[in-house]
Amino acid sequence: MTENKIATTKTAGSWAWFFQRLSAVLLVVLLAAHIFLDHYDEVGAEITVGWVHARLGELLFIAIDYSMLAMVLFHGLNGTRTVLFDFDMFAKRKKAVDIGLWVLGIAMLVWGIVILWPFIAG
Amino acid sequence: MKIGSFKWLFGRNSEFWPTNMKTGMWAWVGHRLTGLILVVYVFMHLSFLTQASLSHEKFDSLMEVTAQPAFVFMDFLLVCAVIYHAMNGFRVVLFDLGLGIRKQKLVFWVMMAIAAVLVIVGFWVLLDAGLFNGEWL
Repeated sequence: MTENKIATTKTAGSWAWFFQRLSAVLLVVLLAAHIFLDHYDEVGAEITVGWVHARLGELLFIAIDYSMLAMVLFHGLNGTRTVLFDFDMFAKRKKAVDIGLWVLGIAMLVWGIVILWPFIAG
Repeated sequence: MKIGSFKWLFGRNSEFWPTNMKTGMWAWVGHRLTGLILVVYVFMHLSFLTQASLSHEKFDSLMEVTAQPAFVFMDFLLVCAVIYHAMNGFRVVLFDLGLGIRKQKLVFWVMMAIAAVLVIVGFWVLLDAGLFNGEWL
């Protein structure tokens, strides 16, 4: 019955593993677009509020920035979770660590959305 | 946690002692270190953007700082961390798919060769645009 027990064990483990890979692949695509379009294409440009506002006038750049924010936060904090669980003191408190990281992640996501908004609105 | 309790983890007989580490272990340690650096960077990035969003003057003065060669070099190091993390991450995903596990060392060095090319191209682009010219500090 070992197989059954593993399959039904209530843990965020396999979902965490799967979404870590999914966000990794999405991040490679998003970061490639970000580095190419925002840095390589415009290398040496003088960055002003107007420049940022003009750039964020295009839906593509808003989409890239906000999806990158969400993916980076998930991938980074989920990676931190993996590192933390390698230490005994956190492995014993998985639920608390999970809740803490989710609260931190959602707070930072909302914060990131809010602080970029003035640049979009102008 | 006592300091002594880390001896098994980082001591001379531990798997993390440099001479005890092999390719795969270095890759793993590098992945974690760059990962943690990038997480810290995201916090710094949001904090910088928060300050920059306060006023146009604040934004302009912060952008002046980021245009300094020393700061651009920090950006370059950040890109190096991203490239290493992404390339080694590809290796991890390949292993998850059951590909290349028996040739893990070769896969690591192929990925590092690609990473080296990307790092050199990145450095050249910044150098060519003149971003390392001017006062360093």
